Amino acid sequence: MNAKVDELAAEIAALDETEQKTLFERAAELSFRHGLVELSESYRKRLAQQGELDRTAEDILAKLRQIREEIAAREYPE
Amino acid sequence: MSILNEWIVFDTNIWIFGFRQSPAIPACAQLLENLGRLRVVLPRQILQELHANLSEDEIRGLFRLLTRFSERLKIDWEKTKPEIITKYQRLGCKLGDAVVAAHLEELDVKILVSENRDFLEEVRDLPFRRLSAAQALAELEQSEK
Repeated sequence: MNAKVDELAAEIAALDETEQKTLFERAAELSFRHGLVELSESYRKRLAQQGELDRTAEDILAKLRQIREEIAAREYPE
Repeated sequence: MSILNEWIVFDTNIWIFGFRQSPAIPACAQLLENLGRLRVVLPRQILQELHANLSEDEIRGLFRLLTRFSERLKIDWEKTKPEIITKYQRLGCKLGDAVVAAHLEELDVKILVSENRDFLEEVRDLPFRRLSAAQALAELEQSEK
């Protein structure tokens, strides 16, 4: 692992500054997408366990509207 | 100004459909994948709604991801002004939608991305644009050309 990391580091160090910047931005983007996929998979797994995964878009929007009104009524009571 | 350099708000449904990877609305997941290219504001009402929908672990995971883009992300825990909420209620909005609209106006955010087609539809001359996830993606692609 260390040898592989050293090899990669040497390759990156050999790139010019612009290429390094592009590479780091791309790596950050890929890492973010991996994190997003993990989060999404975990969420979907929980929804599946609760029997909630196959709800229709309209059902989900209706539930979100209800949650919105409940929170707003709590936060801004008349 | 393009979607690349405007501050925007994702409605809660964009986050939730995106995490769900809803096949009916694939643009939501695609938009979340492009979060690092955008400048996103999370106002208090949306944060509270995300808390209501996600578990503690999921919320922690989301914030861990979002902090990677701290310079492109604003988290705003402040309540919005009651007088702006009232203004939107008088224009016909329900309380919850009025709160979201008031957050956008107060934070001077010019784009709201939402899959709720009825949201604020009745209100004319909004100080921000409403886009669906697909429209936001199309603007993003156009801006990057």
